[in-house]
Amino acid sequence: MTYLSHHVPQTAQLLLQHIELVAAGLALALIVALPLGFFAARKAALATPIFGSAGVIYTIPSLALLALAVKYLGLGFWPLVLVLAAYAQFILIRAAATALQSVPAAQLDAATGLGMSPTQRLLRIEIPLAMPVFLGGLRLATVASIAIATLGGYVGAGGLGDDIFFGLQRQYLDQTLAGSIPAALLAIAADALLRLMERAYARRITA
Amino acid sequence: MPQPSSSVRFDGVTVRYAGADRNAVDGVSLEIPSGAFTVLLGPSGCGKSTLLRTVNRLAVPVKGTVYVGDTDAAALDPIELRRNIGYVIQAVGLFPHMTVAQNISVVPSLLRWDRARIAARIDELLELVSLDPSRYRGRYPRELSGGEQQRVGVARAIAAEPQVLLMDEPFGAVDAIVRASLQDEVHRIARRLNATIVFVTHDVDEALRLADRIVVMRDGKVEQYDTPLRILTSPANAYVAQLLDTGDTIRRLGLLRVQDAMRSVDGTVDAYIDGARSLREALNAFLNGARVLGVQKSGELAGILDFDDVRRALRA
Amino acid sequence: MTLRRAECLALIAAALAMPACSRSSAGSIRVGSKNFSEDITVAEIYAAALERAHIPVERHMDIGSTQIALAAMQRGDIDLYPEYTGTGLIDVLHLPPMHDASALYSTVKSAFERRFGITWLAPSPANDSQGLATTRSIAQKYGLKTLSQCARLASQLRFASVPEFVVRADALPGLQKFYGGFKFKDTRMYAIGLQYAALERGEADVATAFTTDSQIASDDLVLLQDDRHFWPPYNIAPVVREAALRAHPQIAGILNHIAPRLTDDAVRKLNLQVNVQKLDPADAAAQFLGTV
Repeated sequence: MTYLSHHVPQTAQLLLQHIELVAAGLALALIVALPLGFFAARKAALATPIFGSAGVIYTIPSLALLALAVKYLGLGFWPLVLVLAAYAQFILIRAAATALQSVPAAQLDAATGLGMSPTQRLLRIEIPLAMPVFLGGLRLATVASIAIATLGGYVGAGGLGDDIFFGLQRQYLDQTLAGSIPAALLAIAADALLRLMERAYARRITA
Repeated sequence: MPQPSSSVRFDGVTVRYAGADRNAVDGVSLEIPSGAFTVLLGPSGCGKSTLLRTVNRLAVPVKGTVYVGDTDAAALDPIELRRNIGYVIQAVGLFPHMTVAQNISVVPSLLRWDRARIAARIDELLELVSLDPSRYRGRYPRELSGGEQQRVGVARAIAAEPQVLLMDEPFGAVDAIVRASLQDEVHRIARRLNATIVFVTHDVDEALRLADRIVVMRDGKVEQYDTPLRILTSPANAYVAQLLDTGDTIRRLGLLRVQDAMRSVDGTVDAYIDGARSLREALNAFLNGARVLGVQKSGELAGILDFDDVRRALRA
Repeated sequence: MTLRRAECLALIAAALAMPACSRSSAGSIRVGSKNFSEDITVAEIYAAALERAHIPVERHMDIGSTQIALAAMQRGDIDLYPEYTGTGLIDVLHLPPMHDASALYSTVKSAFERRFGITWLAPSPANDSQGLATTRSIAQKYGLKTLSQCARLASQLRFASVPEFVVRADALPGLQKFYGGFKFKDTRMYAIGLQYAALERGEADVATAFTTDSQIASDDLVLLQDDRHFWPPYNIAPVVREAALRAHPQIAGILNHIAPRLTDDAVRKLNLQVNVQKLDPADAAAQFLGTV
């Protein structure tokens, strides 16, 4: 690990950029996926077109989508964030919809019968009770995004992909590892953290 | 404090679910007086739950009108309506992410009661349903037994002092022993509440035990609407007779009290019985060997009862 | 519950705001590079030279291919990057090859100024031409020395290429037409730099090469001779946005001063340092400037 030991500040900066990319991608993804998941859960007729479109985007090879984005949006960061957000839709929309549909009917009936408005019911009952299922999907989307964000190395978006690909080009394995090992550790850490949150939520809502 | 009318009146109410081939509730008209404990009784699919749910507009009639306290329920904002009507369901539906206290405080919070008033009310209600406030306030539903959960469910339903309380087979999900004690609780609470209670069940004994009046339903229509005793003594048709097994005299004995059948005279007695007890218990004593029972009221001998007195009461 | 939600929103807002913070500060020059080590290293040299002259520099290395880097400059995302005269002529302007180095330079300079508002500073002698390479043993086996011979034997040879090479007019398509039409037995794609490994492992017989690549000198590889002169010169030079040059006119003097020092040998040495000795491009650039 000679490369890593001599390039700690650079690797730290790439790690930070990587986290930025993933965070921005997920934030953008959630802004779109949460309302879509909500509508898909409420109206069965909307579910098929919504899931279908997300699925189609998911099948486009990520590099192709990235090249397209770079062409129209410029240097690396925003195109990659857009691509991350697009791929996360498939998992997140479905997670949001399934999570809302997993709330037991008894609680929904009680909430309505007690006199909660639809909004109050959504905010106070449905969303809290849907969280564990949703967090499971968020966990998957996060880990996938950490992996896809390494593509940033192709388009100068920053992130750990820079080391991975430059190392490949120079045939400098140490540098490639300095990119891929932190990325793997980041994915494991994110997975563990979200799993803990999932479990904490699930404990709270067992009936 | 004089209460406004909390009667419930159904006027030609018909409910049909989308895609169904017959009406769930078919042209029901009846009036439930303010403060009465009314039981809707019938088998699955007879429309009793649906009729109940028209009161708080969880079910919407396609024809007819439901009046809650002289006002057309359809003219009111459904959310406001529901906040002023108590609602208890079989599955309880306690919110698992909230404590007992938070569950109970749902409607008062929606009505914007101040904190102190809510806190006091929570303790008052827990005492009412026989749960020690200091032990139960901070517990979560998962830490409670089925019976305890439903007690909290009832407390939650009446937290905002509604004048109408709807209960949809509330004790169907608990075992028989717990069910009996819950029935006693509701019976006791009902008298203190001053509310009009509409209670749905398919359990005949439960209906006979709790009701001031029973609505016997079949296929969305009302077969008979009367007091338990009159239904048992004069069933409207063969269906009602069979449903309530009106030929079962012993059942009827459970509804009659010793003090109503005794003779206010002196005599030698083999055993004593309290006047408030039912004739069924008196029969028990006779079957165990007694011939004449001394009837006590407030500790004093008020009369005597023998088997002929019981038979006479049945013929009345 | 509400507190946790507030924390989440704060995190999301911070995540979205962070990139906005790294917008270019006024007065700095944004130096970019294409996606291979030679271009990155020369860009580091340009950047360091500007910094030594107290001009603030922002680095955007390893942006992507020629198309992407040029598009970035046209959009104004970067101000300067190292380009090759032959690439500019054939790949960007789609003009036929020229073999006079200075005529070529004038042509691309005036065309870029006219069409893109981008100018070329003084070119360096280093000529990083494209080419084909093979191993010494294969060269001996087939008696393979020139591209004409390669064209004749092509149907027996497996080719390891890099992505840009199979689509550029100044690469395989043009080469095939120029040398009388030939087709390799098969063609496989590798990321830049990895095609040499394929050659060494015996997965390919011929591979894309660049004349200043370190692998040519240090490995057991042979560059095939462009006997019919298909390829024009590829002299390396900085391309700059005219607006940036107007804002910082001293850039021209600084970079033109270094230009003569970038000879074929100097560039091969840089490639050796970065690709074989695994020096950081920035360090190799610093060593180079130390000697200027």
